[in-house]
Amino acid sequence: MNIELENVCKIYNQGKANEVKALDAVSLSVEPQTMVCLRGASGSGKSTLLSIIGCVFPPTSGKASVAGKQISRLPARFLGLYRRQVIGFIFQKFNVLPELSVLDNITLPLLPLGISPAARRLRAEPLLDKLSISHRRNFPAGEISGGELQRVAIARALINDPPFLLADEPTAHLDSKLSLEFMEIVSDLKASGKTIVIASHDPLVTDHRNVDSVIDIHDGCIAH
Amino acid sequence: MQTSFIQKHLNILDYALSSLLRRKLKNGGIALIFSLVIFLLASFQFLTQSLETTAEKVLVFAPDITLQRLSAGRQVSLPDSSIGSLAGIFGIRQIIPRVWGYHFDEKNGANYTILGLPADSIQKAEVSLSHGRLPQKKKPGEVVISSSVRASLELGERKSFTLFRSDLSQASFTVVGIFTDNTDILTGDTILMNLQDARDLFRLGDGMVTDLAVSVTNPAETDTIAAKISGIMPDTRILTNSQIRKTYRTVFGWRSGFGSVCLLTALASFVILAWDKASGLSQEEKREIAILKFLGFQINDILALRFWESIAVACVSFLLGLTLAYIHVAFFEGSLFTPILLGWSVLRPSLNLDPAVTFADLLLVFSYSVLPYLAATIIPAWRSAVIRAETII
Repeated sequence: MNIELENVCKIYNQGKANEVKALDAVSLSVEPQTMVCLRGASGSGKSTLLSIIGCVFPPTSGKASVAGKQISRLPARFLGLYRRQVIGFIFQKFNVLPELSVLDNITLPLLPLGISPAARRLRAEPLLDKLSISHRRNFPAGEISGGELQRVAIARALINDPPFLLADEPTAHLDSKLSLEFMEIVSDLKASGKTIVIASHDPLVTDHRNVDSVIDIHDGCIAH
Repeated sequence: MQTSFIQKHLNILDYALSSLLRRKLKNGGIALIFSLVIFLLASFQFLTQSLETTAEKVLVFAPDITLQRLSAGRQVSLPDSSIGSLAGIFGIRQIIPRVWGYHFDEKNGANYTILGLPADSIQKAEVSLSHGRLPQKKKPGEVVISSSVRASLELGERKSFTLFRSDLSQASFTVVGIFTDNTDILTGDTILMNLQDARDLFRLGDGMVTDLAVSVTNPAETDTIAAKISGIMPDTRILTNSQIRKTYRTVFGWRSGFGSVCLLTALASFVILAWDKASGLSQEEKREIAILKFLGFQINDILALRFWESIAVACVSFLLGLTLAYIHVAFFEGSLFTPILLGWSVLRPSLNLDPAVTFADLLLVFSYSVLPYLAATIIPAWRSAVIRAETII
């Protein structure tokens, strides 16, 4: 259950006047049950790299495999289905739906899987307890604190029990205390067998003791 | 697998309903306008159907053939002695001389239909009364009226009233009976009286009538008998029951068609509005769809979501519109459209319509309202369904 990238390039708006080469011949390997940090300045290409690993879109060229499956040539529909199975994603701005309750936000990925409301609740309860937000389960997500929102985003990413957890600048909107709390949570997840990839330039993340390796990205290339 | 498929659509339906409730102002507004459009369309359809049904019902009592004399293309009175010239036609069961005219009551601002029949014919007529009796022979001034006319004349507990003759002298009448309400469309403005009283009111000469009502033994021979009458009395207009029925249908059909075209224009405007609403997504809605797609919703799931949203709005609006239309026709006599369907030229007392709703009417209203709405909202939904998941990163 590892991640392998070989000479991966990503070009946005290829062939157009506004063509941008976001990634250039990136090769990397992420071992299972490790925590890897992608570090780089804004615009360095780390979010693009995270998106390719996260099966959000395929690379323009090169080979990418996640959990043994070649995703480079998968059509968008299958890429989405595969992402649903193996990837949990935590966004920089959390991307929760503020009018929905905490519980409904967390169980949102289960709706298209045809899982009944009772079964959805059963799956969510342990996560609510583990992340200490069970007392907020019926609150609209728009009415809870930033730290709690982050936990909701983590619970939602874990609801399908994916082997990989990706996070894009997860501490950008958190103070240092909450950032450390986040790192403790993902450290526990790593200990429980998840593979974690975090894109961040926050030292609280990159320098955390449980981060196994840091990959520096500069102008779309891995800096050696 | 099948359970999972059904559960998935139940989940999406549940999400669609909660999504509608979250934007209740916007969706409520759409549903309200849509209900109004359906209410107007359904009212029109129900009212047309009710009028046709009621007209059909009361035409059962109409004569098989009505004869009127024409002079210079206008109707004039004819002597009741004309009956004699028709005596030789085989198949005629009965000929009743009538005085049938309109009397405008300036005081009450109402137009009454005066129907004068020979006393014998009145007694034999299949007229149903809610109470009282029919006018009797040798009792001048006795009339039967509808409850609508009674209300219009503001009689209250009184039984007598007067109407002005053409020379402004007054004719007195006594109410001896009231028509039942189920024949209101024809009797709603009718005052039934003895032939002589009607002649006196309209100042017709002795023995003159406005028309002759002919009943035939075999209704299948009506047209043949009408042709024979036409040969004997070439200066008369001959109206058969089936012709009157056809005219009613044509008039209601034409007016209903005209009204429907006007209402369909309103519907078209609404559909354009719905299309515009469905294709012009707000930033918030685009973001929500991108989140859903990122979390595993596929294009067909988003389309299903939009479909259920539209179905929910359409069903609520359809039921609300239909219910309001039924109430409008059944309890308020279709007051919004009665002037269009019955014409404005006659001030009619109130109608008592039997609301007639057929499956075909419901299907018609559904086809003209819900289907265009679904098309107008689901086709542009494709544009929202293809929003790319990565836009939220």
